[in-house]
Amino acid sequence: MIRLESITRSFLLGKESVPVLNGIDLKIHEGEFAAIMGPSGSGKSTLMNIIGCLDKPTEGEYYLGGENVSHYNDKELARVRNQSIGFVFQQFHLLPRLSALKNVELPMIYAGISKKERQARAEEALIKVGLIDRMNHLPNALSGGQKQRVAIARAIVNTPKLILADEPTGALDSKTSKDIMEQFKELNEEGVTIIVVTHESEVAEYANRTIMVRDGRILSPSEGVRGQIE
Amino acid sequence: MSFMENLFMALSSLKAHKMRSILTMLGIIIGVGAVIIVVAIGQGGEAMLKTQITGPGNTIELFYQPSDEEIRANPNIFQQAPFKQEDIRALEQIPEIKSVVASSTKLSAIRFQEETGDVSTTGINQAYLKLNELKVAKGRNFSASDFLGGRRAGLVSNKLQEELFKGKNPVGNVVMVANQPIEIIGVLEKPTGLFAFGSMEVYIPFQTWKTIYGSSDFTQVTLQVASADQLQVAGKKAAKLLNNLHNTEKSYQVINMEEIAQGVGQITKIMTLIIGSIAGISLFVGGIGVMNIMLVSVTERTREIGIRMALGATRGQVLTQFLIESMTLTFIGGILGILLGWGTSTIVSFFAGWPALVSWQVVLGGVLFSMVIGVVFGLLPANKASKLDPIDSLRYE
Ligand SMILES: Nc1ncnc2c1ncn2[C@@H]1O[C@H](COP(=O)(O)OP(=O)(O)O)[C@@H](O)[C@H]1O
Ligand SMILES: [Mg+2]
Repeated sequence: MIRLESITRSFLLGKESVPVLNGIDLKIHEGEFAAIMGPSGSGKSTLMNIIGCLDKPTEGEYYLGGENVSHYNDKELARVRNQSIGFVFQQFHLLPRLSALKNVELPMIYAGISKKERQARAEEALIKVGLIDRMNHLPNALSGGQKQRVAIARAIVNTPKLILADEPTGALDSKTSKDIMEQFKELNEEGVTIIVVTHESEVAEYANRTIMVRDGRILSPSEGVRGQIE
Repeated sequence: MSFMENLFMALSSLKAHKMRSILTMLGIIIGVGAVIIVVAIGQGGEAMLKTQITGPGNTIELFYQPSDEEIRANPNIFQQAPFKQEDIRALEQIPEIKSVVASSTKLSAIRFQEETGDVSTTGINQAYLKLNELKVAKGRNFSASDFLGGRRAGLVSNKLQEELFKGKNPVGNVVMVANQPIEIIGVLEKPTGLFAFGSMEVYIPFQTWKTIYGSSDFTQVTLQVASADQLQVAGKKAAKLLNNLHNTEKSYQVINMEEIAQGVGQITKIMTLIIGSIAGISLFVGGIGVMNIMLVSVTERTREIGIRMALGATRGQVLTQFLIESMTLTFIGGILGILLGWGTSTIVSFFAGWPALVSWQVVLGGVLFSMVIGVVFGLLPANKASKLDPIDSLRYE
């Protein structure tokens, strides 16, 4: 489902080009639950942003579901993000002035779905994450775990094949982290491919594969190695 | 994403900063309000001036302007009334002309008991009543029999009642006009309007006038037509007819009302343009205020923009969102400005006695223009929002 070939990404700092990803080769199959681990600043988020079509590689090819998306334009990438990818962030990234329900509706607004269907599907997604009774609450009135569950509902509402979570439990206590990871596991069992960036080995244990990143490179062989923890 | 979706989104983010939105709108409100007031009062004034100059619209006055030769041949020509009774009869034959209103005015001495004065005496034909200029406040108006029989009956002006009768009701009394007795049957209403000055006046049937002054000629002739569009045609026909009858080239003329009206329109247009452009400048300044606040708003909402992009918003959709937001801001400002302008010009016209005309064209123009301002001044901030990088925006604190 995901194939990265010699992906590099460098950022311009002043006049200098600083490489962050140095030739990433990676394959992730449909239905996998992968954890990306590695020290801070190793390039995990940068890698996730490229996989999530939020960013483009400096060099290399990226195939998503068989399509080479490395040369897509901004509009095509927006469509891929909208239709094929669900994001979950450490900082939740909910819009503070919208209710939980309206937040979940957002991706469907950009998908051009009618108001009625949006509402129905958003409620369905909130039922799935167990927050239907909070649907009219503003994010500020929700706990961290609840916010992240709203974010998960928002990520799955357009039924994407791939969910990317960048340190989804980074701001949560261990009990809540478990609930959230259970939620991801459940989704993975329904067939959704999931990639989680994390620092915590307890979180990585939910995955059936761990990818180690260091200094912009993948440490373990690109496929097959499991449970390898720093 | 539908327009309505964008509109609701815009309204909710404007609502989130109520005070700021209102203050930003203020520039637009005042600008549009000023335009509405200026145009309303300008158009109202123009309409008022036009009716005061041209009358209610379906009458036209004939006048006599002798040529140099005619004046040389007859130096007393100005003392003579230029319209003969045959002229009136001939004019009545012109199909477009509904009636020929004719009158003659002379200044005479007037006396009531011990009081004396100078009075402008006007002999009128029966058609004169159709002009509806003789509004009777006391007593009665002329009837057909007054004209036929040449009754010695007269209507007097309010000023005459004040001066000759010291304000007492003169109806029923007999005054001496040019040493001839006239019975006062009514008093006219006090004149109103910009160009109305009260003076001592007596109106009598022309038949009576003839016996008093021994002349059957008229000094003033006004033509009344069925509809205002026939005015110029009928006027030209009438002037030509009289010039033929009197063997003159163009001494008999009609005032070209259209030209006068256009002249007045020109003046008010220029005034409107000048004050309107000042109002336009204030709208422009208001637009800059909108741009400024929208730029602030884009910066503040960088993270929101990043989130929307991550969820699949295209650059075009972000651009549209902010454009519609600034347009909504100026649209609401425009509507409030129209209400302000409408209200103010109504109040001003009420106290100034000057009609204000808020035409639908101006209202529509105000709304459209304020929306255009929203688009023009929203373009820069919206463009800035749409050019943001999703990753940088998501990381923005
Ligand atoms: N937009 C950027 N501009 C410049 N440097 C960046 C940018 N994004 C990330 N970096 C740098 O790239 C490195 C990797 O960052 P990141 O991918 O966020 O690491 P991780 O998520 O593994 O902690 C860091 O040193 C960071 O400073
Ligand atoms: Mg990171």
